Amino acid sequence: MALNMDRRSLLTSAVLGSATLVGATALGSLAPEAAFAKSDDVEPGAPDPNFAEGRVTGINEGMLLVAGSDGTLWRIRVTNASSIWKLHPTSLDKVAVGDGLYARGVRLGDGTLAADAIWVNIVNLQVHIAALAPKKIHFDHRGKRIIGHVVPGVTAASYNSTPAIADMTMVQVGRHAQVIGAWLPDTNEIEIATLYTSTIEHNH
Amino acid sequence: MLAWIGSVQPLLLGAVLLWSAQAKLFSRYAAAHARRTALAPLLGEDRAVLAYRTLAGVEAVLGAALVLPGLVRLEAVAATALSTGFLGYLAYAKIKDPKASCGCLSAQPIPINGRSFGRAGLMLAGSVLALVSGAAWPGAFAAHPVAGVALLLAEFAAIVVFSPEFDEHWLMPLRRLYARLSHPLASPGAFDVPLESTVDQLHKSSAWRDLARSVTSDVREHWDEADWRVLVYSARYAGATASAVFAVPRLRYDPQAVRAAIVDENGGTLAAVESHAQPEYAV
Repeated sequence: MALNMDRRSLLTSAVLGSATLVGATALGSLAPEAAFAKSDDVEPGAPDPNFAEGRVTGINEGMLLVAGSDGTLWRIRVTNASSIWKLHPTSLDKVAVGDGLYARGVRLGDGTLAADAIWVNIVNLQVHIAALAPKKIHFDHRGKRIIGHVVPGVTAASYNSTPAIADMTMVQVGRHAQVIGAWLPDTNEIEIATLYTSTIEHNH
Repeated sequence: MLAWIGSVQPLLLGAVLLWSAQAKLFSRYAAAHARRTALAPLLGEDRAVLAYRTLAGVEAVLGAALVLPGLVRLEAVAATALSTGFLGYLAYAKIKDPKASCGCLSAQPIPINGRSFGRAGLMLAGSVLALVSGAAWPGAFAAHPVAGVALLLAEFAAIVVFSPEFDEHWLMPLRRLYARLSHPLASPGAFDVPLESTVDQLHKSSAWRDLARSVTSDVREHWDEADWRVLVYSARYAGATASAVFAVPRLRYDPQAVRAAIVDENGGTLAAVESHAQPEYAV
C-alpha cells in the first residue's frame, strides 16, 4: 500500500511539478496522415488478430483463459500495463470465471494476446426506462426487462449530451436511454456505469 | 346468474373488437405495422397487409353486430371461433417467431407475452359465456342494472390491464407519480464528479490529442489530488512501455489546463506536455 502511495505521489509530481516541457512535435508528427499511417495487416472481413472476446473459463497467474463465442480459445496475458475495466478501472483479482470480456492488445508469437485493455462484462444497450425503484432502474430492451442497479459513487448520468454527473434524479420514466454498464453474468441485471438520456419532452 | 353474466358479454366483446378494428383500419402506420406482426413470416409480407385489413373488416362487422342486440347465438358462435382462432394464432406465432409483435389492439410493436394470452383468454371466456347464455343484453341490464355495469367496468379494466397499448395512459403516469413522490434514485450528497466526466474533459484537451496515438490502454487507475484528478494510461514512447499521466481539473471545465507527462518504468519523466489554446473552428 505504501509502495502504491509512493508511486502515486511520484506520478502526481511528474505531471503537476514543473518538469521540462517538450513541444508536442517531439512526440511524432501531428500531421493528419500520421494518424492513418499505421499499417493494419487485417484483410477486410477477416478477424482482427489483436482483438478477443468471450467468457472467462480460467484464471492462472496473470493469464486469462477465454472461450470465444465463435469457438476460439484465447489465452490473454495481463501485465502491469494492461487496463482492466469492470464497471470502473480495476485489477485482475476482480475478474471472475464466467465473466464475459472484450480485450485488445498485441498477438505474440506463442499465440497469446498481450492485453493492452480489457473490458469485463461491458454492455451497451438502447433501452426505454420502464420504471424506477429504490437504487434500481427497470429498462425495457426490445420487449425484455433488464434491471439496472445504481451503484453509489460510480453510476453517472449524462442528460441531453452534457457532461456526466452523479445526480440520477432527473431520470424519467418512459424516456429513451443508452446505457453502458457491467452485466452480472447469467442474469438480466446490470450495474450502470453511464446512462445517457434526455430531459426534454417528446410528444409521441 | 350465469345467464345474465353471459348476456352482457357481447357488449365487452363488441367494444374490444370495434376498438381493435379501428386501430387496424385508421392508423397511419397500419400497413407498415402489418409487415412487422407475426402475420408477415406466416403469410408473406404482401399477404400480411391484406390479411391484416381483412381481419380488421371482420372484427368491425362482428363487433358492430355484437353491440347491437340481435342474433345473439350466431354472433356468439362467431366470436368464440374468432377468439379461439386468435388464441391459436398467438400460440403459433409465439413458437414460430417469438420476437414478432402480436398486432392486436394497436399499431404499436409489442411482443407477444403473458398479457397477450391473458387478454385473448378473457375474450374467449366472454365468448363462451355469451354462447351459453344466448340472451340479449337489454334484458339482463333491466334485471341487474348495478351489477351489470359493475361487471362490465371490471372486465374493461382487466382488458386495459392486459393491454400494453394502454400503458402510456395509466401505467406510465402511475410510475411517474411514484417516482415523484418517493424519489427512488435520490442520493443526498452525491456531488462527486464521475470519472466519465473527467475523461470527457480530457478528450477535449490538446494534451490528449498530442499523446493519444502513444496511449495503448484504457484508464488504468485514477485518483484525486486537491483540485486535480490524475488519470494514468499505458503508453508506448520511443519504443518502450511507459505510463501516460494526465492531470485534469476536477471541479471546473477547462480543457486548456490539462497537463500530461510520460513516465518510464523507473519513474523518470520522459516528456511533459501542457495544453495550449484550442483552435476555434467555424461549425
